This record gives sequence, structure tokens and C-alpha cells, in this order.
Amino acid sequence: MKMSNKSADGHPGFVEVRKFLHAGQQSYPRTLDLEAEPAEELRLTLAPGTKVGAALREVLAHFAQRGQRGGVGRICAGTVRALQYHRIENTSDVDRPYDYGPPYLLDGVITMVTGAITIGQNPQGQILLHCHAGFLDGNGTIHGGHLLLDTVEVGDDPLIIRLCLFSLGAFVVNSDEETRFSLLHPTPMES
Amino acid sequence: MTTSTLTKNTATTPILLSNNDVQVEEGRLGKLIMARLKPNQDLTESVEALCRQHGMLRAIVRGAIGSLIDAHLEYATASGWREMEINGPGVEILNVFGEVGFSGKHQAAPLQGVVADVDGKIFAGRFVRGSNLSFITIEITLQEWIAVAA
Repeated sequence: MKMSNKSADGHPGFVEVRKFLHAGQQSYPRTLDLEAEPAEELRLTLAPGTKVGAALREVLAHFAQRGQRGGVGRICAGTVRALQYHRIENTSDVDRPYDYGPPYLLDGVITMVTGAITIGQNPQGQILLHCHAGFLDGNGTIHGGHLLLDTVEVGDDPLIIRLCLFSLGAFVVNSDEETRFSLLHPTPMES
Repeated sequence: MTTSTLTKNTATTPILLSNNDVQVEEGRLGKLIMARLKPNQDLTESVEALCRQHGMLRAIVRGAIGSLIDAHLEYATASGWREMEINGPGVEILNVFGEVGFSGKHQAAPLQGVVADVDGKIFAGRFVRGSNLSFITIEITLQEWIAVAA
């Protein structure tokens, strides 16, 4: 990490900003967007011992029957007793020189401090959960990365998650030619 | 302070406050925009562009996940703003909070958030406009804020 001072008048000065060219062909537009219909605001309380991924899928399957297939969420509070997460690492693959490495495993008492969830699906309609989160282990060490919600088990304190569900649009996974990753894309949906 | 200020805008339920230091704005959430930013797109500028494109004068971030090539975050100090550069590539966006169009400047978007570097260390601050480029993807969802008319 590098630190620098900015002048008091707020002038940003010259900031060095790196770009990265992926192996694949770029496509346009560079932002894909879609207007969806806001549908439900939910607050979930997951009890100690709950498997988070399975619990979320059960809730979301219920609302998907009503046509609410897209959504986002935030992890508000709670502890967990086990999780796995990924960090992006350098690889030897010329097509994907940066990718997730093997998962890091934590157990014991883990305190959640921040987290965001994108609710997506594959082309067959199966729910996909994309989550990035930050947390402290029992020694007070802070960790953050790509959290595998299917590995997370709620700890002694309930886990509070807020969800915003919408209809007429969803994040659907498709292969991306430019990055060579399978990524979530805004996709129109019938209600 | 003893003066009373009428700050609320609806005709039915005005909110009477005992001082001038608090402003209350009532409103509702409107249209919802979901988006994916492709590589090398700046987070803040893209949010502002989405608002303009969809005719939203003001909006809030409902969710954002993705990765940055490098993160540039800033925070206020007594001697001005201080900037952190968190090097990637592959700085993970853990959360983004913020509003677009509330500052009085046209579509200004002081977005704040939390990121993790490639060692899993966490940093937080205000995203420096023009300096946080998407690495692989950013999924972002915005929702319009519609104030109740005076």
C-alpha cells in the first residue's frame, strides 16, 4: 500500500491509474445495464448452526416462484463458526493470469464485519450466490475476500442478512470472451 | 438552540424540529438499475453515467461486488485528504455505500467502501473518482431516490 497527501483544496493532482488488458477480445458497450422492478425488501435472521448457503437458497426459491429472480443483499451482523474464502492470485495460465487460488479455511469464532451478496442464477435457473465479505477470526486478525456462502455455518450469534429482490431482471452467468471467466450479467426476465 | 424549524415537505405530516442543525427529507425509492461494469471502467464515473443514462437525479447504491486493478481510497485529515493506494491486480470490493447527486454538484458521487487486497487485508475509505478501475467485473445495483415534493 502506498500513501500520499492531496492538497487541501481537493485537487486530485496526477494519479497514476493502471489499466489491464485481458487475453480476450473487448466488446462494447463497456457497461451492461438493465432496469428491473423492485419487489421485496427482506430481513433474514439465521439461527446458530444454520448452513447459510442452503438457507438462502430455500428462501430465494420461494420468491423465485413469484418471479423475483434477481437481488442483492448485505450481511449486517453476526458470527459464524466456519467459512472458506478465496483471494485472487497470480497463475501461470496466459489466458487467465489472475484467478482464485485454493480456499482459505477459518473456523472457531468468526465475527462478520461487512459483506455484500449478488443473487444470480445459471442459464437453467439455478440460484448462484456471489458474496464478498470481511471478517475477524478469533485472534482478531482481519480477513476479506470472495466468501463461499455454502461453506458458512452461523455461530453463536444470529446472522442478519438484508435482501433487496427484484423482478423483470436477473444476474445470469455467462461466459465472458474478454476475461475468459464466467460472470454475472444483467438479463431481462419475464415475471 | 431554541428556534423551531419546519423541515418536512408533505402537507399531511410535517416534522417539527427544535433546531436548525437537522434537515429531514422524506422520499421514496424509485426505479432500480442493475449493471455490470466491464474491465477498466471506473466505479464512480460509471455510477454517475448510469444515473444520467436512466434519468435519475439522485440514487443510492443498493449493492456492489467485484474486483479492482488497484484501489485508490482517501480519507480526511487535518491537513487535507490523504490517499491510499492498495495494489492488485485483484483488489476485491467487499461493499460499497453511497449516494449520487446529493452533494449539490452535478451528479457528484462520493462513494465509500471496503476492499480487501490480495493478502486478504481490509481497507476502507472514499473511492477516488477516476482511479478505481474494474479488473474482471463489478456487479452494481442502484435505486432512485425521489424526494417528496415541497
